[in-house]
Amino acid sequence: MWREKLQIHKSNWIAALHPSCKFLVVCLYSFCALLLASFKVGEGEYSLYTIAWFVIVPALAIGSGIIKRFWNAFTKVLLVAVVIIVVQSLLIPGGDTVAQLWILKVREEGLRSAIYLGFSVMNIAGIFVWFFQTTENKEISCALEDSGTNYKVTYVFISTLQMIEILGQNSKTIMNAQQARGVETQGNIVVRTRAFFASLVPLILGAITGTEERVLTLESKGFDVNCKKSRLFQIEKTGREKMVNTIAIAITVAIVGWRVALWIL
Amino acid sequence: MDTVIELKNVTYTYPLADEPSIKDMSIKIERGKFYGVIGENGAGKTTLCALIRGFAPSFYNGELKGEVLVEGKPTTEFGPGELSLKIGYVFQNPFTQISGVKDTLFEEVAYGLENFGVPVDEIEERVIEVMKMTDIYSLADKKPFELSGGQQQRAALASIIVLKPDILVIDEPTSQLDPEGTESVFKIIEQLKNEKKTIILVEHKVDMIAEYADEILVMKGGRLIRLGDKQEILTDMSLLDEGVQLPQMAILGERLIEAGIPLSRVPITERQAAEAIGQALQKARNS
Repeated sequence: MWREKLQIHKSNWIAALHPSCKFLVVCLYSFCALLLASFKVGEGEYSLYTIAWFVIVPALAIGSGIIKRFWNAFTKVLLVAVVIIVVQSLLIPGGDTVAQLWILKVREEGLRSAIYLGFSVMNIAGIFVWFFQTTENKEISCALEDSGTNYKVTYVFISTLQMIEILGQNSKTIMNAQQARGVETQGNIVVRTRAFFASLVPLILGAITGTEERVLTLESKGFDVNCKKSRLFQIEKTGREKMVNTIAIAITVAIVGWRVALWIL
Repeated sequence: MDTVIELKNVTYTYPLADEPSIKDMSIKIERGKFYGVIGENGAGKTTLCALIRGFAPSFYNGELKGEVLVEGKPTTEFGPGELSLKIGYVFQNPFTQISGVKDTLFEEVAYGLENFGVPVDEIEERVIEVMKMTDIYSLADKKPFELSGGQQQRAALASIIVLKPDILVIDEPTSQLDPEGTESVFKIIEQLKNEKKTIILVEHKVDMIAEYADEILVMKGGRLIRLGDKQEILTDMSLLDEGVQLPQMAILGERLIEAGIPLSRVPITERQAAEAIGQALQKARNS
C-alpha cells in the first residue's frame, strides 16, 4: 500500500516523461540554442533565431501544465537576463546608433552582444527551470542510479539539492536570532549585506559540525554496504520517450546540418 | 554470563590530542542488559560509545591500545556496514540523523533497509511495524526536516530499530528535547529493554536512568570509576564529590535518613521513595 503511495503519477504526459529523456531534451535544446545564437541575421547581423528559439521554453511549460510554477521560478532568470541585456546594450560601443534616449545610446555592437548573451542565458536557464519544475529530486536520483551512476555520487547530488532549502531555513533562523540579540538585519542594502555576512559564519560552521554526525549516521544505516540496494520508489515510463528522443535528435541534426550548410555555401 | 561486548585494557587517544580520552578501561557488557553510562562532561562517555560501535578508530583514526571485542571479534576486523546490523547507534542531535535524501518520513525510516538490499515487501512491513511502535506512523508522509525535535529523535530511533540490531548504543538522545519528548523517547527505550536488547545509554538525566537501567557505568576523566547494580551505585553519596549527579529521590532519601526518618533503603525512583516513606509512616503510626 505504502509503496504505491510513494510513487509519482503525473497526468500530463510531457511532465511525466522519464528524467533521462527530459535531460536529453535539455542538453540538445541548450546545444541548439548556442548554435542558433551563432546564426547572424540581416544587415545588423543580430542573433534573431535565438529569440525565436526561446518560444519553445514557455511552450513546453504550458504543455507540461506548470506555467504558473515555471513563471515564478523563471522571473529570477529573467531579471538577470534583463540586466545583461540593458548593460550590454548601453555599455558596448561600436556601430551605428540604433536607439537613443537622452544621453543613453544603444549601438549596433551592444545590441548584438545583448541579444546573444541575454537570450543564450534565458534559453539555457529556462530549459533547466522547466526540467527541475517537472522532475522531482527522487526521480532524478532514481534515474541516475538506473543509469549506473555510483550511489555515492547520487547521494551527494540529491543531498546538495535538499540542503540548499535547509540552509536557507537555517539562515533565516540565524538572522532572527541575531535580530533578537539586537543586531540590525533590516534596512538599506549595506545593513542587510553586513547582517548577511555575519550570519554566514554560524551557518557554515553549523553545517560543517553536522557533517561528521551525518556521515556516521549514514554508516549506521549501512550506506557503505557493498550489496545490491533495493528501492521503494520506482520510476515510470510514459512510452513516449522514444518518440520524444527521436524528435529532439532530428531537430538537432537539422539545425547542425543547416549550420554546416551555411558555412560551406 | 553471556558477554556480548568486551573492552580489554583499552586506551584511546584522538588524533592531535595530548592525552587519551579513554584510559586503560576493561569492561564486559552482558547480553540483554540495559547499561546507563553517567559522568560529568568530558568523562569519555561518547568516546566509549564510538569505540564500541567501531567509529573509533576506523572513522576518527587516533591511537587504540587494547582490544574492543563485539561477540568475541575485534571491531577493527568487521567489514563496512557489518557492525550496523549488530549495533544500532543513535546520536544526540536529531537533525543530523536525517539522511537528507528522502522526501517522506516513511522513506527515511526505510533508508537503512534499502541500503542492505532488503526486499521491498519486507521493507514496507518492517517500517510500518517500527513506526507504529515509535508512535510516528501518523507522520509517515511528512517531510523529515519539518518534524519537531522529539519527532525527529523518535524517527532516528525508528530508522535504527528497523534494522533489528541486538545491541543499541544511544548517546544522549534527549539532550535537546523537552520533557514530553524525553518521556516519549524513554518509552521506546523501555520497549526495547522488554525485547531483551542490549542497551548502552549515555544520559545526563539520571532520574530516567534510575528508572530504566539495570546496571550503571560511572566514568570520570576517561576512566571507569564504578560499574555495577544501579541501586548500589546511585545511592552512593560519595559520587557527588566526584561530580556525578545522583537521582533526586536518592538525595531526598539520604536527607530523610539523616533527619532521623527510618527508611528501609535509600530510594532511587519515585516509586521506591513512595514505598519507603509509606513504610516509615506506617511504622511510626504502629509504634
